[in-house]
Amino acid sequence: MTLFTTDDCVLCAQLKKQFDLSAMDVQVEVLGNNDAGALAHLAWHGLVEKARKALPILVLDDSSALHEFGHIESQLLDRAARYGCGVAAKRPGNQAGCESGSCALQ
Amino acid sequence: MPLIKGFLETSFIDWPGKLCAILFVGGCNFRCPFCHNHPLVLAPDGMETIAFEEIMTRLAARKNWLAGVCISGGEPTLSPGLPTMIARFKAEGWAIKLDTNGSRPEVLAQLLADNLLDMVAMDVKTVLVQDKYERCAGCRVDLGAIQKSIDLLGHSGIPHEFRMTIAPSLHTEEDVVAWVHQFDRSRSRLTLQNFNPKTTLDALFEKKQGFAPEIFSRLSAMVA
Amino acid sequence: MGVVMPLNAETAQARTQRVVNEDSTDIALFVRSSQDDMTGWNRQRIVDALLRETFIDRGTAEKISRDIEVTIQAGKVKTITGPLIREMVNAKLLEMGLEEARRMHTRLGVPLYDVDQLLVQHNKENANVPHGPEATNLTLAEGIKKEYALLHVFSPDVADAHLSGDLHLHDLGFIDRPYCSGQSLEYIKKFGLNLPHALSMAKPAKHAEVLLAHMVKFAASLQSHFAGAIGWDAINLFYAPYLEELSDDGVKQLAQMMIYEFSQQAVARGGQAIFSDVNIYWEVPKHFVDVPAIGPGGVYTGKTYGEYEKQAQRFAWALFEVYKEGDAAGRPFFFPKPLVHITEKFFKTDGHMDFLHHICEVASVKGNTYFVFDRGDTAKISECCRLSFKLEASDIEDAKKPWKMRYSALQNVTINLPRLAFKAQGDDTKLFALLTEKIQLAAKAHGQKKKFIERLMSLGKGGPLSLLAMDLDGEPYLKLHRCSYLIGMVGLNELIRVHLGQELHDSDASIKFGLKVIAHMNIVCNKLAESMGMKFVLEQTPAESTSFRFAKLDLAHFNAEAEKVVQGNREKGEVYYSNSTLFNVGATMSPIARVEKEGLFHPLIEAGSITHIWLGEAQPDKEALASFVINVFKYTQNDQIAFSPEFTACLACGKTSRGLSETCPYCESKDVDGITRITGYFTKISSWNKGKLGELHDRYRNIDRFNQ
Repeated sequence: MTLFTTDDCVLCAQLKKQFDLSAMDVQVEVLGNNDAGALAHLAWHGLVEKARKALPILVLDDSSALHEFGHIESQLLDRAARYGCGVAAKRPGNQAGCESGSCALQ
Repeated sequence: MPLIKGFLETSFIDWPGKLCAILFVGGCNFRCPFCHNHPLVLAPDGMETIAFEEIMTRLAARKNWLAGVCISGGEPTLSPGLPTMIARFKAEGWAIKLDTNGSRPEVLAQLLADNLLDMVAMDVKTVLVQDKYERCAGCRVDLGAIQKSIDLLGHSGIPHEFRMTIAPSLHTEEDVVAWVHQFDRSRSRLTLQNFNPKTTLDALFEKKQGFAPEIFSRLSAMVA
Repeated sequence: MGVVMPLNAETAQARTQRVVNEDSTDIALFVRSSQDDMTGWNRQRIVDALLRETFIDRGTAEKISRDIEVTIQAGKVKTITGPLIREMVNAKLLEMGLEEARRMHTRLGVPLYDVDQLLVQHNKENANVPHGPEATNLTLAEGIKKEYALLHVFSPDVADAHLSGDLHLHDLGFIDRPYCSGQSLEYIKKFGLNLPHALSMAKPAKHAEVLLAHMVKFAASLQSHFAGAIGWDAINLFYAPYLEELSDDGVKQLAQMMIYEFSQQAVARGGQAIFSDVNIYWEVPKHFVDVPAIGPGGVYTGKTYGEYEKQAQRFAWALFEVYKEGDAAGRPFFFPKPLVHITEKFFKTDGHMDFLHHICEVASVKGNTYFVFDRGDTAKISECCRLSFKLEASDIEDAKKPWKMRYSALQNVTINLPRLAFKAQGDDTKLFALLTEKIQLAAKAHGQKKKFIERLMSLGKGGPLSLLAMDLDGEPYLKLHRCSYLIGMVGLNELIRVHLGQELHDSDASIKFGLKVIAHMNIVCNKLAESMGMKFVLEQTPAESTSFRFAKLDLAHFNAEAEKVVQGNREKGEVYYSNSTLFNVGATMSPIARVEKEGLFHPLIEAGSITHIWLGEAQPDKEALASFVINVFKYTQNDQIAFSPEFTACLACGKTSRGLSETCPYCESKDVDGITRITGYFTKISSWNKGKLGELHDRYRNIDRFNQ
């Protein structure tokens, strides 16, 4: 499973705080950080254009992709349960940045 | 299961109106001198067999691209396992087209009765005249069987076409005209193919020519 | 430059001085009648030239001129020409270690032998250029401009990189032009034909035929100011307001006129046809729906473009009917190239399936159609074989005044990827470091070209680029601040082969690594764009002669490594590298696999990409093609596709047949020429350079194979 994120995204940050992603066997790829490997990985899944519109994106083990934040969150919750990982409390807060579409690959 | 000796994932030319995959079954009872697929006909054992399951897997990956699977060869109706194979494809939702020389009407009849075919292309080598037909097929032919297959398809209610590959050394213009008259064009589609001298079954045929383009266009127009 | 005349043929009087040509900067002919007679010789001219052209001081210039004088006096040569004296001065400058001065004082030109060869033999670098006096003019002028560019526009490190084959600076012979452009017909609809230096001015056209005449003249003018393609946006839509008065026959005739006009060999750039692209939409693009339409007389018709859908469709249909028929011999038209945009709105527009079948039929019988995929909400103007400009927010604003929609790429610089792999020797870090370095060098080159063009543009309407400085709408025609700068690549497949020991089509690992290389290029371009304030964009280089040139140079300089991976036939000299990010043309891949896998790279190459599907002889079913096109749109990331059939044109009987054969199937003559797509446009095989011939031989065609 791979989670594509950027560094300056509120929603992405929230997911990273909420879940112990590496323990859940979820690879985190940070885009926009001059990381050619991450961008290439995104391109391999055919998600570059989608990422230009909105992030985060979660790619499942069968290579299908989730774009809606709600779906991503619930998928990760499932995964956490199966791996027996704890989940940190969600910090209620301003998520306006990402929802207005400003969180995306430039 | 029939022995599959070739598989093309994408064909733009084998099923009119549809994008399809095509597989080639080894072995044939005819020896048409102009045949291009002669390795399948003459020496199928020398060709590697592709596992049926592999074909199924590859097709599954292309489900949303392809409209169907075309079964060609060689002569598919010689294989007793043909209906089983088609049934497996059908179970996965694939539309099926069969290419055949029509020499096994009983096989065709069963496949049609079991609703296993969505389209059939039958090669009718020339007019149904014994010596002419045997010259085109390169072997002894039971014309009664051929006629039976023609009738079966004509009344089948499914899309079908009768094809003929023509070469000046095997067909005259009169033959083509007479050929056309064997069919009910309100029910059946007819196509002509011009003989192409590259890599033929009978090496002597590589020295021969197809019909000149103008003549071929005229003949095709007659048939359309 | 004076004329050299032998000593004996003249009278004593004529033998004396020749009047120096006041305009010439060269020292004119000097003839001496005897060992001691230096009449007419003027040492001062050497000094003047050195002071005018270089930065050396008067003292040194005087010394040099005296030394030359001594050499000439002592020598036995009877006739001295200006060029010879210049070379003697250059040799002296070299001797004195004054390299910079020598560079500035140098003479550009072509050896006599080369000119002789050139006038007689066909130059095959560009498959579009026919052999003839205009063409040789072009080659000679290009040669000088090329030298000028390498000596004076680009810095030595950039020039060396080009000459050695690390980089390729495209169209050096057109150093004083931008690369390619996209524009809207609206400009001449509104302003009429009002070109600088034209002998007459025309008011905005009132009728379609006149508009076409204006378009052709304008295109020719544009072509003489751009090195590459001239693209037109939404051509069928912008003609629409002029079509209401035409019958269906009239529309068909207009379509015929347009296609014939652009296909006939014109006079641009050495006698070539204008390299034109027309973008066609079945629907009215969203950004034009509410835009007020300009019609006959250049005035607003009172309707918006959204109301002209039917007229636009009539024209689109007619254009493809003409393409379907081909020319008088049934051959496909080479230009203009029709690019049909497939968008979400396309599928919601009435009649789209019929139109799709129509354009697929053209693709099947003649091959002209380019299918451009605009997914999501992206809008693009496509230009050459693959270059496209994504319309950004500011461009959508411009859409309200379509005459403002003008785009240009100023230059294209391509990087030799296989060579980087030779140098990196399997080390990833080294490979990416070398790649970054090359991109930076390419960016530097772009900066230098930009400076040069800015200098020419600053001379304004009275300067050398007056057409581009023309400002009928308040802005120069060439919008320098919006130009892009292209970075291309050649031979990704061979880079992978060297670095990983496999080709792109061999494994997923190869593709992933290839994606990493291109992703790296994409990232570096973006970083440089920010720091240099210039829009660097990756492009799939058409690489017509570049892939040949790089392969040859690598065989020369990196023979041991290059030998193992260069494609083509070495004995015949028909060698090449794979074009940009394309998979090996000979790889056994189904069209679906090729479209999918090559498509993975396309989103990273923002200026545009293409996948070619070679058809050989087979004439595919148009509905099968249509369903393929729809699936490419729905299930892949592929940017653009074209189906490329092959034809044989008989020069004896004039007929055209499918497939490439050595004899004409109609008349059996061997005097035949093959026609197929070179890198993005149709042309005759006899004009191809050796590298492309090698590639043609290797192409995998989607027929006659039992296995994919």
